[in-house]
Amino acid sequence: MDRVLEIGGFAAGYCGRMFVQAGCEVVRVAAASLAPSEHSSEALDVYLHAGKRRVQTDDLKIIGELADRADVVVAETPTAQGVRDLGFDDWRAPVKAAITPFGRTGPKRNWSATPGTLLAMGGYTYLMGDEDRAPLTLPGHYAEFQSGGFAYIAANASRLAGEENVIDVGMFESVMALSQFTTVMWTCAGEIRSRHGSDFVYVSPSNLYRCADGWVYINITLHFWDALATAVDRPELVVDPRFETNADRIANREALHEILAEAFAPMSTSEVLARATEHRFPCGELKTFDEVLRDPHLAERDFWQQVESAHGRLASPRIGWRMGGTSPRPAVLSVQEQQGG
Amino acid sequence: MADGPLRGVRILDLTHVWAGPLATRFLADLGAETVKIESPMGRGPRDYPVNEVAYGWLGSDPGDEPWNRNAIFVKQQRNKQSVAIDLKTDAGKETFLGLVREADVVIENFHSVTMPKLGLSYDVLSTENPSIIYVAMPGYGLEGPYSQRVAFGPAVEAMSGLSDVMGYGPDEPRNTAMALMDPVAAVSAAAGVVTALRRRRKTGKGAFIEMSLHDAAVSFCGAWLVDRQLGNPLERLANGHPEMAPHGVYPSAGEDQWIAIACRDDGEWRALCSVVPGLDPDADFATRQRDRSEIDALISRWTACRDKQTAAGALQVVGIPAGPVNATPDMLSDPQSRERGFFVPIEAGPTPMPGNPMKMKGLSSADWTPCPKLGADNAAVLKGWLDYSDDQVAELERAGVIVDRPPR
Repeated sequence: MDRVLEIGGFAAGYCGRMFVQAGCEVVRVAAASLAPSEHSSEALDVYLHAGKRRVQTDDLKIIGELADRADVVVAETPTAQGVRDLGFDDWRAPVKAAITPFGRTGPKRNWSATPGTLLAMGGYTYLMGDEDRAPLTLPGHYAEFQSGGFAYIAANASRLAGEENVIDVGMFESVMALSQFTTVMWTCAGEIRSRHGSDFVYVSPSNLYRCADGWVYINITLHFWDALATAVDRPELVVDPRFETNADRIANREALHEILAEAFAPMSTSEVLARATEHRFPCGELKTFDEVLRDPHLAERDFWQQVESAHGRLASPRIGWRMGGTSPRPAVLSVQEQQGG
Repeated sequence: MADGPLRGVRILDLTHVWAGPLATRFLADLGAETVKIESPMGRGPRDYPVNEVAYGWLGSDPGDEPWNRNAIFVKQQRNKQSVAIDLKTDAGKETFLGLVREADVVIENFHSVTMPKLGLSYDVLSTENPSIIYVAMPGYGLEGPYSQRVAFGPAVEAMSGLSDVMGYGPDEPRNTAMALMDPVAAVSAAAGVVTALRRRRKTGKGAFIEMSLHDAAVSFCGAWLVDRQLGNPLERLANGHPEMAPHGVYPSAGEDQWIAIACRDDGEWRALCSVVPGLDPDADFATRQRDRSEIDALISRWTACRDKQTAAGALQVVGIPAGPVNATPDMLSDPQSRERGFFVPIEAGPTPMPGNPMKMKGLSSADWTPCPKLGADNAAVLKGWLDYSDDQVAELERAGVIVDRPPR
């Protein structure tokens, strides 16, 4: 399999993680200091960097020599100029992917960015949060991880074709490429998509509801309305003129939320889920991360990968797909100490 | 059809809604010959309820064939071909299995029982073509206690743990309400396909890929899950950040206009102080976190009377990460997306569609093809892949096995 050289931050790290899970040999060149993250460096080591060999160096000669010997290089820098400064264009690896906030060309190629500013510019932030409050950003590294995924897809496509290639992934474009109906709603219907808390803009009711012991999210697209009304013992809602069609339910969404909030409040989350399963409508309980770690469904599916770290053996999620009933990854990975150049 | 590194890879795409079609859009953009296998009623009925489409029609006009002009559907289907075939008929199954014998990849995101009920399970397909790569995208996977639940992206998001950190405060969790985990699963599925193709190149073996929306969602949240095992606290910080201060979304001039601003270190903070009056350049990170409310108020006072694009530009000049909170018109007119030609007016209207974020040599939107009409490629694909004669195609049409419009 490929020898992959990974340079940079969270996007390159995520891309490298995918290569590790696919069975490739990945060497990570880590910068002396990474951008701020909501995650601890220990958690990122376990989640992103398990199974990689790691070298910490700023020596461009060493980096260049490693790049010349790699099959694939994935380099992430804070700006387009940073890619050039690394010597990227001179490296002889057959497939080279550069990941930057705005891509390698264009007037904003050297703009500074954080996950929050990228989500804002890419159209996500405007849609999240309450209508009458400031929009909410999405915690974490969505723009970076998805960009790392794109670099992985493009690099593997090039390797499959046996082509030498230079790949340019911009996080701003990655976010914009992952818009749902947001763009066509404007270009084809002349409407700017708006935010409504946890409620879906054009499908109601789709919202978080508080139960006696937690929260549930229900997602009632057109086909599930009758089932929901029956499930919460309110069959009269089906013929209530305020809620007859999805358009009616959107127009009267506040009244509907009040009715449903009242219906769900005395129920336990498990009772709501049992009713959702029986009546066949989409519903999920809001889980904390601690609850996700104890999730019986994930345990039964052999979801967790074990990672040996300085903090002992920790569970880390395996990659999203599995082949032939198992993940292609090794059963146990380890976090290796960084080595100097 | 696009040219690209996946040229020669044949994909049968049975996906619907968002995650599946988005995954195959990425692969089609890279040159895969992607044939959308559609149910005759897959795009809706002949008497399409034109008043119920909320997201618009191409060119703002449903036209004579509204099922072909639903904008949200069209958005995901460029560079694909369409074969509309009734898989519930024996002849439809036989024809589909013929295509499977010639294909490299089959991908679907039905409920886990749908394909087996049609008699088209992976076991059946791999008997026809042992090297086939079959991707199933069931919401909660094929097994496990939740496997029979009905899965949609927003509900799965709640189960991923993300709401533990997403929201306005301790008692105010929020869902993105964007079906966020669909695009997460889409990228993951496309990554799984290229991985399996390379594995097959090396081993000659096909593969069954199970791509659960729930697995993808939880996997994406992995770093938080590790942090919890390390005993690190997590909290909902609204637009705050544990390692950046200030970090927020601030009002700008105009109704519901906003700008995102962050300072990653003391240097950026001092730069911000040089632009925004009233801030203390000597305030260290701990002080800035402690005095977050007061600092946010001072920044808001400065941003509130400024256009978001202008303010972002002014802050970027001194090196501060700042970006306008864009809605679609802003993204379309953004100088960066315009210069890089990101939005492509490929569909009727012309309607600009978000492009391919994987830029590479030899790839160009100049050879892209728009969303095909329902069944537009029935004859071309059956003749090209299966050497069907004109008579064979005509017979399937007469029998209603293949269609080019929804049946009455």
